[in-house]
Amino acid sequence: MAHEIIWEAELNAALTRAQAEKKPVLLDFFNPG
Amino acid sequence: MGAVTYPNEKVAEFVMNRMVPIQVLADSPLATEFKVTWTPTITVLDYYGKEHHRTVGFFSPEEFIPSMLLGMGKIDFDTDQFNDAIIHFDTLLKDYPKSAAAPETIYLRGVSRYKASHDAKPLKEAYEKLKADYPASEWARRAEPYGLL
Repeated sequence: MAHEIIWEAELNAALTRAQAEKKPVLLDFFNPG
Repeated sequence: MGAVTYPNEKVAEFVMNRMVPIQVLADSPLATEFKVTWTPTITVLDYYGKEHHRTVGFFSPEEFIPSMLLGMGKIDFDTDQFNDAIIHFDTLLKDYPKSAAAPETIYLRGVSRYKASHDAKPLKEAYEKLKADYPASEWARRAEPYGLL
């Protein structure tokens, strides 16, 4: 649990959190296949 | 990335403590908006959503954190927060001096120090370090004019 990345799934939610926490956003585009 | 790099303890701790992570499918509308054509594509955005750093292709755990630090430094660099950029670049060069991100970081650190002080000496120092440590890198070539200062 401590070593797991908890991903946001929606950009607006991520940006809202980033502004509140004063952090940059890591945006990863991936292909599960 | 999902099999090797993201489960890495140091990577996960860095990302969770220092960034807000978001993962999006490569065929999503957001990928089209960001003009993503290959995966993995990783971008670093400021908290307004503006992109400052992009990588394409796999990054090992050892290379991932320095790449993110470079991206964080670039946010500060692009927004004229040069002293904050220098802090990110110093951390990267202290903790990951042999990383692939190091040559670009040395270059941008020199420029940041110049922009913060208006003293040209850091530009020449950056060139001399690149010439000594990374003579074959593109960043050594880009810094060549600073050798004349």
